Amino acid sequence: MAEMWISMGPQHPMTHGLWTLKVKVDGETIVDADPELGYLHRSVEKMGERRKYFMNTTLTDRLCYASATTWTHCYTHSVEELMNVEVPVRAQYIRTIMLELQRLASHLMWAGAYMPDLGHITGALYFWRDRELFLNLLELPSGSRLLYNYVRIGGVKRDLPVGFEGKTERILKLFEQRLDEYADLFENSKIFRMRTDDVGKFTADQAKNLGITGPNLRGCGTKFDLRKHDTYEIYEEIDWDISTREAGPGYSDCFSRYMVRIDEMKESVRIIRDCFKKMPAGPTMASDVPVRAQGEAFRRTEDSRGEAMMYVVGDGSDRPYRWKIKSPMFTTISACPHYLKGYKLADVPAIMGSIDICIGETDK
Amino acid sequence: MNIDEFMQELSASKGVSNISKIRENVVKLDLSREDSQDFFIGIKSDFEHCSLISAIDNQPDFELVYHFSCIDNSIVVEDSDFAVMLEVHVYLKRESPSIDSISNIWFGANWHEREAFDLMGIYFIGHPDLRRVLLPEGFAGHPLRKDYVYEIHEEEW
Repeated sequence: MAEMWISMGPQHPMTHGLWTLKVKVDGETIVDADPELGYLHRSVEKMGERRKYFMNTTLTDRLCYASATTWTHCYTHSVEELMNVEVPVRAQYIRTIMLELQRLASHLMWAGAYMPDLGHITGALYFWRDRELFLNLLELPSGSRLLYNYVRIGGVKRDLPVGFEGKTERILKLFEQRLDEYADLFENSKIFRMRTDDVGKFTADQAKNLGITGPNLRGCGTKFDLRKHDTYEIYEEIDWDISTREAGPGYSDCFSRYMVRIDEMKESVRIIRDCFKKMPAGPTMASDVPVRAQGEAFRRTEDSRGEAMMYVVGDGSDRPYRWKIKSPMFTTISACPHYLKGYKLADVPAIMGSIDICIGETDK
Repeated sequence: MNIDEFMQELSASKGVSNISKIRENVVKLDLSREDSQDFFIGIKSDFEHCSLISAIDNQPDFELVYHFSCIDNSIVVEDSDFAVMLEVHVYLKRESPSIDSISNIWFGANWHEREAFDLMGIYFIGHPDLRRVLLPEGFAGHPLRKDYVYEIHEEEW
């Protein structure tokens, strides 16, 4: 049969944002692919060069609507490294709690979006019902539900409200019951397993070379998490484990990437509980935060989707001279011809959904 | 290998200067443009992941900053879990902003190079597919350059 190109997107239920995936098919089998980006390019880096350091936290929130805190934190963390700002311990604990709540919300958002990709609309309702719980929690200290602007250079905007710990504990308890529900609904569901088992496989060595990081890399069995391996805030004082998959059935395929994220949510619950136990009293903002900076600095953090990194260059003025964003999804999408080849056209939503695409951060 | 031993080893490489440790797990160095390809092939076995390529317009010259990370712990920082990173600075002349592509060594560098070409106008020699990635085809100029006149569209309207 003759080979032909099929264009999926920019308006396609698989795309989760605006991008085009051109796939070359031979009958039903994919022989090549060509992803195209740029539909959502807002030139965040150029805009950032014209704004003062502290103004940019509003821009970084908008990099990814599903995971705003992790991106703002990555930016503030890099700028603090550039300015040599010491963040108070209590602020570091609050940041860790907010980051993990955000990770839970982001993973639930992903799972809710992934289920309709597989034709499982009910799944979306279950996951988004629970995401609502965490959005309510994130709203309490920050005052907004999607774009928080809560993490600031030097600390956080304000202390946690009264009764936050009790409310969080109630919701975490409820969420743990819900996790059992997911196990019944999805992990033991034959239809879900048929769509995800042994689909979209790539090995750990391939993934490292292709630039794939985060849960997608851990799904191949690599024990690599920047919260441990380039530790920041107070993650080294907290008791938690890296979630990976062992070699065997359900290894480095779509199902393993689903399971890694479910396990990460369990770890996030552990981290939040431990943070509340160890959190000291004290200020939540550094006493003097400079407005000008000179030199260059970078920090990388474990975003919900992989390795997030910001490289900031200051020229002594109050605005960044150059500011580069590393988006984990940018490289993961670029590698898609490698892990789509050989699968059927109907597997494309299952594979591309499983890597957790966010076009906002990718297109910058 | 220990990170200090690794720095010793680096200082013997050709084209390398100003080796320093900027954090306990980050090594920074300057590299000459001519020796870049040989150097990158040499470090591939230790640094299996290319994290980021940033292009900076330093007026008048360009600077490329490569970040590589070591995932398999072939280089370690003593008494810690830290993953080692390497930061490589390469300086390019404004008249000829070009360098050998590394996307045949790390596939993950492919789109970072395309982005640097798209937004900063750096040419990567030997790149398999050097097209614009974020901006539309036919866009004039490279907007992240400091001399880019961005009001040009207002005049056209």
